[in-house]
Amino acid sequence: MSELRTDPRSPWADEDATVPPDSWGRGTGPKHTLPWGFALVVVLLVVGRFTLAPHLTAPALQTWATIFVAICVQALPFLVFGVALSAAITAFVPASFWTRALPRHPAAAVPVAGMAGAVLPGCECASVPVASGLMARGVPPAAALAFLLASPAINPIVLVATAVAFPGQPLMVVSRFGASLAVAVLVGWLWLRFGRSEWLPIPSRPHGDGPKWARFGEAMRHDLLHAGGFLIVGGLAAATLNVMVPREWLAALAEVPWLAVVVMALLAVLLSICSEADAFVAASMTAFSPTAKLAFLVVGPMVDLKLIALQAGTFGRAFALRFVPLTFVLAVLVSVLFGWLLL
Amino acid sequence: MAAVVNRVTQNLVLIMLGCAVLRISAFSTTYLNYVKPGFRPFLIGAGAVLMILGVAGLIQAWRPGKGSPGAEGHGHSPEHGQGREHARHSRGQGHGHDHAHGGPRVAWLMCLPVFAIFMIAPPALGSFAAARSETPPPRSQALTAFTPLSGDGPVDMPIGEFIGRAWDDDNRSLTGRTVRLTGFVVPSKKKGQWYVTRMQIACCAADAFPLKVAVKGIQAPPPDTWVEVTGTWIPQTFGRMPNGVVYPQLSGTDLMKVDTPDEPYE
Repeated sequence: MSELRTDPRSPWADEDATVPPDSWGRGTGPKHTLPWGFALVVVLLVVGRFTLAPHLTAPALQTWATIFVAICVQALPFLVFGVALSAAITAFVPASFWTRALPRHPAAAVPVAGMAGAVLPGCECASVPVASGLMARGVPPAAALAFLLASPAINPIVLVATAVAFPGQPLMVVSRFGASLAVAVLVGWLWLRFGRSEWLPIPSRPHGDGPKWARFGEAMRHDLLHAGGFLIVGGLAAATLNVMVPREWLAALAEVPWLAVVVMALLAVLLSICSEADAFVAASMTAFSPTAKLAFLVVGPMVDLKLIALQAGTFGRAFALRFVPLTFVLAVLVSVLFGWLLL
Repeated sequence: MAAVVNRVTQNLVLIMLGCAVLRISAFSTTYLNYVKPGFRPFLIGAGAVLMILGVAGLIQAWRPGKGSPGAEGHGHSPEHGQGREHARHSRGQGHGHDHAHGGPRVAWLMCLPVFAIFMIAPPALGSFAAARSETPPPRSQALTAFTPLSGDGPVDMPIGEFIGRAWDDDNRSLTGRTVRLTGFVVPSKKKGQWYVTRMQIACCAADAFPLKVAVKGIQAPPPDTWVEVTGTWIPQTFGRMPNGVVYPQLSGTDLMKVDTPDEPYE
């Protein structure tokens, strides 16, 4: 898909067509193409239910499936919520609103957008479609990216969860807020300064003059089919690593301070835990230093497997290839700085 | 061509996913195997939205777009539809291969959780997962005061509370009390003991970790059996925490098999 996006001739034509027009496939048949692929899926499902299901009982497989389904099921409401919000932004909020709400100068808009992330309750799955909706509505990409990074990490629900998970350590909440916001704003500014527009095609939406509700439904379906599919990719990877990598390996690495920070940051990427729950997981890793835990909390909501898949799907591979390492490195560095100053 | 997700199929996939989500949340308690109980309304909402979106899309797809852009709020203005069709045609001729990579193909993956739910029917995490990860060493809960245990007879208690009282209660309220713990069986490498275990989740099963209490004095039931074990706490003999992972111990007196509870996690 990203090949199409970076295609110089018709960079966004595909975007429009990804929800195919009504005429899709009608050329071949008299009226409609029957959904053969779907019929096949249903047949597989029914046959598999009665022939395979009794044999799929290996504990490792079941554990993997439980974690996979858990990640999907847990992320789905947030994804639907984010997609609905994004579609609402596209369909109901006039573009002029954003030019009025945000400072005219993009460099000033970045921190404002980052702070705005504190208002949107939700986890990272919601923030990707919302950020893409903002870009489609003319918000400067750097500001939308700052929002994308900040909102899952510094919203009130996440901060309360962090305070509950770390009783008696208010500085952990402060550090998380400060470090996450700092990373978001820094990445936004760097993107503003060095980012190129061909890396980040502004996601266009199905638009047009149709009734608002039709546009709303169209935009939602479009986003859900994209983001949903990529969420599953991330869920598959995260569940596999979750089952295959024994956590004891990691505890052994906790002894070396700088290694511990890197290990916890990588763990945050691999485990792909929702930002509303990651504080509890971090708190349970008692072997690690507070700075390493902070790195886990800062990296997790910004970079993880399901997010990488979502971002690559929403903004294209060329974008993810640059954005993800930049965010990861900055997140680790800023966490170390905050950990050294405050914890 | 079958692999390309056409419009009808897209909506059918959405409906199928919506059905699966509603099946595990609205019509059963299966969702408790994966997430916290508080998630139910969100899951039902998400499932309903998927269904509505899919059904609305189907209606729209099966009723040719020329019908009525205004009526029912579905449908497209004709010129817009033509514009898109034009875009599709030009691309289809230009580089058909790229086209086959079109975005929605990834939407097929949304069938995977449906397959997992209906075919594997993933159960709650059991002894396999519990044996994999070690319980984090007990945390000091200086802020939590343990109320004294009242009444006579065995006290029902979550395993998490038992562990907390065993490690962190200065009043040693467990001393001499008979308690009843409910959990599943995890075998131990040490002879003469096994673990009664509950997984604790903060948000979903991906962040689960096990809470284990070592049971002594009772023959170990088969792994993954859900049991209610009655017994008394064996106070630890060491003064401060030794290194490594240690579990509080229970001297078991009575064992009863129970059904898997609706809410398998603590």
